[in-house]
Amino acid sequence: MTEALLQVEELVKYFPIRRGVLQRTVGHVKAVDGISFAVNQGETLGVVGESGCGKSTMGRSVLRLIEPTKGKVTFNGKNVLSLNKPEMRAMRREMQIVFQDPYASLNPRYTIGQTLLEPMKIHNLHSPGERMQKVHSLLERVGLASEYARRFPHEFSGGQRQRVGIARALAVNPKLVILDEPVAALDVSVQSQVLNLLEDLQDEFHLTYVFIAHDLSVVRHISDRVMVLYLGRMAEVADSEELFTNPLHPYTKALLSAIPVPDPDAKRERIILQGDLPSPANPPSGCPFHTRCPVAVDKCRQEVPAWREVKSSHHVACHLV
Amino acid sequence: MADVLEVRDLTIEFLIEERYYRAVQGVSFDIGEGETLGLVGESGCGKSVTSLAVMRLLPTHTKVSGQVKFRGQDLLKVGEPQMRQIRGNEISMIFQEPMTSLNPVHRIGTQISESLILHRNVSAAKARAQSIDLLKLVGIPRAEQIVDEYPHQLSGGMRQRVMIAMAMACQPSVLIADEPTTALDVTIQAQILDLMRHLTAENHMSTLLITHDLGVVAEMCDRVAVMYAGQIVEQGPVREIFRHPSHPYTVGLMNCIPKIAGERKRLVPIEGNVPSLQNMGVGCRFAPRCPKAMDVCHEEPEEYSVGTEHTCRCWLHAEAGVTSR
Repeated sequence: MTEALLQVEELVKYFPIRRGVLQRTVGHVKAVDGISFAVNQGETLGVVGESGCGKSTMGRSVLRLIEPTKGKVTFNGKNVLSLNKPEMRAMRREMQIVFQDPYASLNPRYTIGQTLLEPMKIHNLHSPGERMQKVHSLLERVGLASEYARRFPHEFSGGQRQRVGIARALAVNPKLVILDEPVAALDVSVQSQVLNLLEDLQDEFHLTYVFIAHDLSVVRHISDRVMVLYLGRMAEVADSEELFTNPLHPYTKALLSAIPVPDPDAKRERIILQGDLPSPANPPSGCPFHTRCPVAVDKCRQEVPAWREVKSSHHVACHLV
Repeated sequence: MADVLEVRDLTIEFLIEERYYRAVQGVSFDIGEGETLGLVGESGCGKSVTSLAVMRLLPTHTKVSGQVKFRGQDLLKVGEPQMRQIRGNEISMIFQEPMTSLNPVHRIGTQISESLILHRNVSAAKARAQSIDLLKLVGIPRAEQIVDEYPHQLSGGMRQRVMIAMAMACQPSVLIADEPTTALDVTIQAQILDLMRHLTAENHMSTLLITHDLGVVAEMCDRVAVMYAGQIVEQGPVREIFRHPSHPYTVGLMNCIPKIAGERKRLVPIEGNVPSLQNMGVGCRFAPRCPKAMDVCHEEPEEYSVGTEHTCRCWLHAEAGVTSR
């Protein structure tokens, strides 16, 4: 097994809830509540969960775009959370992010060329003369014409903008790219183009991906391993094939059974969960899933289930597995 | 099976910078009693505009031609007062965004009561009681309290249930659902689809379900119409379409979605982008992206029959002959 490129231990992010004139802290939104995982060089870790499960907060906390409350993040042997500002900035050359919304994540007043030059300037890469050449080759690599460098974001479709977002992340030759719902805003025909592009780029540049998404079929398609989150906690982690063929956690089972399958003759047993997701400001006691779990017992309401390896590299947090 | 809704040759043109552009061209479909027709396609293909035309909710300065017959009556020809008697009463609609389609300053109960008071001429007290019953029908817990709450106090899934309760209030014979679950999480989507399936079956409602998700289509629909760039390119019974997709666009759509089971294969994307309104070419609109394009594709194909009630607008199937409607 290759060494882990990214190691995250007991990551916690609580957002304070402030009220009143004195802005006193009256509680916390427990967005991420103790998540640990490792990603190996060249691997794709898929992170799935419903809205509010903490998947985006987790991605941003790893890059310290949001300062985590507690935990340890080790990247390439270095402790990320102990770095000062200039050190962190240098570190970000190695770890980049692609955001969900290709409309909001590009500066509308920058040409595509300026957007792509920016990271190279910040990290002082290439001579100023070479940079424009690099911009052109990046654009071509993500499937856009090099003359698009002179155009503005509003001239592009969603799929094209997302290609620009990917090119921007690659401009500094990172090792790790966190992809936060990179295809959620795209139509299916364009989504498949972008997914194929991501796979090709991973092979070509030996990239390591953390792929955050709510669409399970997309995650299954692209990931080597998958982590399922629920209310800021880990429910299950396993190799992609294993997780999708043999899910153990009742939440994973329900999630998989809820996906509509594009086959009118598919016969499946559907588990329909009752109720809504509880608020992460006031998570249930014990197992966070017990309020909606079809098989919950008394123990689930009282004790937080331990994180256990039940099979080789298949971890789950459930009393009943 | 009598057709409740018959749409013939519906063409919709929008005024953009002093010119009319065709967003929808020659769309025809029928929905029988108790039947669910899925209208699928990617953004900008004209599926939502089609549904708004049926409801007569398009902005003024829009040219609409063709026929929209509801129980034999052409809705494009009736006057606005008469249309108001039909809208929300005989035909009602569920929109995609439950956040923006509920009025934030009115209580839930008031919003559901509105159509009851308007169409059923019931007293406010009776409408309130019926609203509570409707909330219970769509599976909302604490209905007696929720009826007096505001939309912001509810979750996305709950708001969509309220939208469904509003649409169901007058027991319409046609329900138009425009991406009813797109904004929801999968587990909540499963709840809402389940609810819609029960309600439409119990009330023999005819449904026009607009979606981009082929999974939702396979689960909910009896028949499917696939739209591309303002036209229906393929139409037929759901099994036919999934077993024998005939139009290269339908085939392309099915190949480019990642599968949840089976072997993981590289996706086969549809290259290129959807043409814009101002930039619609001549002939088959899919030809520039079509892997099977031929010379003849520069001319406009008609709808050809490729099976039982299965039509396809593609030159590859021209030898099958034009369908008669």
